[in-house]
Amino acid sequence: MTEVLRALGSFFAYAVIAVFAQNAVFTRSLGVSRLVKLSEDDEVGSLVFGALLCAVQIISAMMGFFVNRWLFASAFWIYLRPLVMVLCSAAAFFVVLLVVVICFRVHGAREIVAVLPMATFNTCILGTLLLSTIQNFTFTQTLGFALGSGVGYVMAVALVRGAQERLQSEAVPATFRGLPITLLYIGILALAIYGFTGHMLAF
Amino acid sequence: MSELQHEPLQASVEKRARRDRVFLNNPVIMQGLGLAPLIVAATTLKNGIMLSTAVLLLLTPTRVLAALLSRFSYFRFRGLIYALTAGAVYVGARYLMGLLYTPAELALLGLYLPLLVADPIVLKRYERPQRERTRTALRKGLITSCGYIAALLFISALREILGLGTLFGSPVIGGALFPMAQLPSGGFMVTALVMCVWRAAAAGVKKQMSLEVEPL
Repeated sequence: MTEVLRALGSFFAYAVIAVFAQNAVFTRSLGVSRLVKLSEDDEVGSLVFGALLCAVQIISAMMGFFVNRWLFASAFWIYLRPLVMVLCSAAAFFVVLLVVVICFRVHGAREIVAVLPMATFNTCILGTLLLSTIQNFTFTQTLGFALGSGVGYVMAVALVRGAQERLQSEAVPATFRGLPITLLYIGILALAIYGFTGHMLAF
Repeated sequence: MSELQHEPLQASVEKRARRDRVFLNNPVIMQGLGLAPLIVAATTLKNGIMLSTAVLLLLTPTRVLAALLSRFSYFRFRGLIYALTAGAVYVGARYLMGLLYTPAELALLGLYLPLLVADPIVLKRYERPQRERTRTALRKGLITSCGYIAALLFISALREILGLGTLFGSPVIGGALFPMAQLPSGGFMVTALVMCVWRAAAAGVKKQMSLEVEPL
């Protein structure tokens, strides 16, 4: 019983850390190019994208954990790691694709399937997989960190999308509108998270 | 010059601007591609040069190989082809990087070196439904690499000067003017300001080009 509680505690602690203190976007800038596009694109629903990203993230993290344990001692691991992690996310891609097609049928799944490659092959997924393997997380830590990274990324997308109306206002100088002001906004949020985690600037 | 003659000239200006991937249509400045390594790892010119080498070794071979392989794939699986090709090309690129730089130097890039495999600067092309010819992939891969490297070197040098007051480790100004430039949040801000100035300059050049073809 104590073991189960300890594992659950570890899962939730790593999930919360990944959402806030080590948010993929604000602390490591993972998936920021995709986020900027998503925040300007009304066609791709944040909720669908977020659900797919979290599903791919968790499934690929499980596979990545076992593959890392198996290949960790290999001399070629340093060269092969990204390829193997991409293979893990590709396997997760097919699992999610299968589930979506079964649940929504081929015609209903068309729009979701169109978003799936974007939710699978991005720096947020690969970065989280690489971080979990490089830092040798345990299985529960890996799962918690993967779920937290996915949720944290979706939260960042929602934050940036929510601010778009103000960021595109007439009060913003024309040369700043679009990508520059969005990056400035993300930078300010990143600074807030940096302060929130107890860091101090060197001046 | 008649209006009918003027329109194709304006279109050719637009086309020229779109093709110029170094200044007028830089992949970082105009499309926001490849931001993750630029914002976190490109804090010094040395890091910028290492990342540039990696992009040079990875981007064009991936794009050419993926253009070849995606002839045989269904559109929805093209992302998979591009990502797996990038992962395979990374094996060779990482080996060459190991010959060029010491493990301590490569450690400065952390996870941002293997992360290039999934970066939109390398993979973005798969989102377009049209298949790319191999020769076009080679040409566009090379010019996109040049554009990305130009922005990367400029921003990394600027962040080193602002954040540390040095360039290549040698002092150039009295001290750090903006130490936050070394942090990810500072990276976002410096990149945003560079984008702003660059875009304004590019808009000015485009306007000048349009004026030159305008009917008298």
